[in-house]
Amino acid sequence: MELNVEQDWRDIVHRCFRCGYCKFTYEFSDFNCPSYKKHRFETYSTGGRLWLIYGLISREIPWSQGAANVLFACSTCGNCNENCRFDKFNDFLVDIIEAARAEAVKNGFCPEKQKALIERIENPEMYNPYGEQNSNNEDLKKEYDLPDKAEWVYFIGCTSNYRQKDLRDATLRFLKKANIDFTLIDEHCCCSPVIRTGQINSVKDFINYNIAQINNAGASKVITSCAGCYRTLKKDWLKYGADYDFQIYHTVELVKKLLDDGKLKVISEYNKTITYHDPCHLGRHMDIYEVPREVYKYIPGIKLVEMKRNRENAWCCGAGGGVKIGYPDWSIEISKERLEEAKETGATVISSVCPFCRTNLSDANIKFNMNFEVIDLIEILDKLEFEIFGI
Amino acid sequence: MGKMNREIILKELEKIVGKDYATNRSEDLYIYSQDPGASIPRSVDFVVMPNNTEEVQEIIKLANREKISIVPMGGGLTLSGLIIPVKGGIVVDMKRMNKILEINQFSRYALIEAGVTTGQILSHLNENYQNLQPPIPDAPPSATVAGNMLIHGSGYLSQRYGGHGTMINGLEVVLPNGEICKLGSCAVSDYWFDRGPIPDFIGLFISAFGTMGVITKLSIQLFPKPKMRDIIFGLMNNPKDIPDLLLKITATGYAEDILLGMQDKPEWMKGYVFIMTYITGETEDDIDRQSKALKRIYRKSNARFMKAPEKMRNLYLDKPIFASGAADFRKGGGFEYVGAFIPLEKIPEAYKKGAELSRKYNIPPTLGSRLIGGVHNIVMFFSYSFNRADPKDMENARRALHETNKLALELGGIPWKAELEGQRLTLGKMDSSYKKLLKTIKNTLDPNNIMNSGNWEVI
Repeated sequence: MELNVEQDWRDIVHRCFRCGYCKFTYEFSDFNCPSYKKHRFETYSTGGRLWLIYGLISREIPWSQGAANVLFACSTCGNCNENCRFDKFNDFLVDIIEAARAEAVKNGFCPEKQKALIERIENPEMYNPYGEQNSNNEDLKKEYDLPDKAEWVYFIGCTSNYRQKDLRDATLRFLKKANIDFTLIDEHCCCSPVIRTGQINSVKDFINYNIAQINNAGASKVITSCAGCYRTLKKDWLKYGADYDFQIYHTVELVKKLLDDGKLKVISEYNKTITYHDPCHLGRHMDIYEVPREVYKYIPGIKLVEMKRNRENAWCCGAGGGVKIGYPDWSIEISKERLEEAKETGATVISSVCPFCRTNLSDANIKFNMNFEVIDLIEILDKLEFEIFGI
Repeated sequence: MGKMNREIILKELEKIVGKDYATNRSEDLYIYSQDPGASIPRSVDFVVMPNNTEEVQEIIKLANREKISIVPMGGGLTLSGLIIPVKGGIVVDMKRMNKILEINQFSRYALIEAGVTTGQILSHLNENYQNLQPPIPDAPPSATVAGNMLIHGSGYLSQRYGGHGTMINGLEVVLPNGEICKLGSCAVSDYWFDRGPIPDFIGLFISAFGTMGVITKLSIQLFPKPKMRDIIFGLMNNPKDIPDLLLKITATGYAEDILLGMQDKPEWMKGYVFIMTYITGETEDDIDRQSKALKRIYRKSNARFMKAPEKMRNLYLDKPIFASGAADFRKGGGFEYVGAFIPLEKIPEAYKKGAELSRKYNIPPTLGSRLIGGVHNIVMFFSYSFNRADPKDMENARRALHETNKLALELGGIPWKAELEGQRLTLGKMDSSYKKLLKTIKNTLDPNNIMNSGNWEVI
């Protein structure tokens, strides 16, 4: 179920009773809302934020930079959606916060640091939030000998293409080894960073552009190794009125299908104890929890251990919702808490399936000398020998 | 308070609790100026979040010096506006003081800081002391244990063990003059195990709504957790049968809790009073024996036993249920009820008149009651949900609440955790010597009238 972009949220925001379930883990053992846990004033819980939003739209209080800051100090992790007890309202909490951010932007109160996202993305030399020269991916196509048209498009995503290139390259090598008929497009940002931060003016143009590129490549399937892109392509693009026929997959879904069908078999061993971090954009936002876990279990030698908070109850890595760029120190603190929880499991490796989680967990790992190996699932597979049958 | 003075006070508060935990920013104050009930918002000057007793002391000394009102706040879920300052001032949000200091398995108590939530204590016991259970109110898990105990709350285990205010073994209080005082056995002993055979002042701080001091630590009683639990559900046509039924059930000693209610939804419950008796045991045989006995009692008292619908069993047996659903009946985010302590003999009339009153205000009747300590007290809930985006609907709920407070007093009951209007009505009916004593104690403890001033104000 989706909220109407323009209006519906205004009609329901006052339904929040401020009961506070949104702050907690399932079993109430701890606060699981990063924003409330950090700031502790009621204002920074989802309930507090929704009440503030109601106050702003009903003009009980004026828009201000301070009010906007409350709205933006949220990683949109979705813990509140999971824990709110009010059916047909709890699905929309993050949507309402994002819609209110767009309202803040419209009223001229976008925080300075987050503005960089739209400035870079709209820059015709860049089209990505990292301020890098746009890659049309032609070099990669040559390097990996990819056709112009194919059944699949690998939508790399900006984080993998400009920051986590190891993850990108591991994915490219895997797809090649698995004999997947795929290509790359001259992709522009999927728009996750600007949708999350309410800077939505040009979103439809970006969606239309990317859809046209995918269609021009003749693809009927899109695969991405980024949980953020996955959520955005599969959910947000539709919310913004996109019309497309292709199927969208996360890499891990393809890997699992190949393993389940007996077309892929991992031969070498990975003798390490690892713990899996659920990316919010794949887990709480898209309900995918077991697929990656099942893939890890196919790997010989691996010992998969769970952190105390896992699946729907997972603690966020702190990178999402514009928090990484807007509040970099706090963002890393959130990841530090995740790594401390991972330490309790005895794992030496923390693994996930999202380049943005990987970035933030790695940054915290380095900053706080946590001595983990932070690695994406596809990078683990890339290190191993496997056989491919009948593709 | 001038702008200049406001900035100076903020700096002083920041010095006490740290820059991150004191605020006078309008976006932060907004939510503290109102609660989910029907009270009209009132202004707040500052919110602070102390981390320890000494910081609370310093805040109170500052407030005394500046003669600013202090309003201690837990989960902020009384619904009756008790944590919204009446005369402006400082809201002291206690939730950073959230340490569970001791679980004593022998004397069965928990010593905790005042900001520990009911969710936190429940989770802590579930994980570490599976044989113990805490008293839990009919409230979401963000309600604090201290807040619930200090408003003389009730909830799960109240029928068997009494009201939550009576489950307090001891308190650490910062008095209005800034002195720290320990009350209960902890004033004499290292053990917070009882109120102690010494003059008992703990009652001064119960239902006082922060007007006598700020509680920083408390010891609460814990109880053994049974292996098995079941619900015996029944429906009654006529509320007049309630007293006889409850006298018979409580005489068996079987009931851990007893809830009654009347509501229009689902449709099959409309017009009936339902009863739900919780029984506990160590074996299936225990449960079976009690169940049979209670079914007989139901029959003899004109209550029709029926197997509780699965949905209801799942909801209520997942004890505690941490109610919040009732607040969403109208999908409008607003909910308040008159909870009133009412003597058993007046309960039938309370149901009849309560339903009439709801209809008068065009609000579907949602009435409930819970036994506290046998039949010595019944807390009756007259609930009104409303749309907080509709000022007329809110005003309608306020008028209904006011009339319900009057009804409770007419029935010989007393509004519980009453909002300002309810307090005024109660004071209006209160014996003058009690009021005089209240005023004398209050003026002695708090000569500058800084402690949640405006509440329990004896004119």
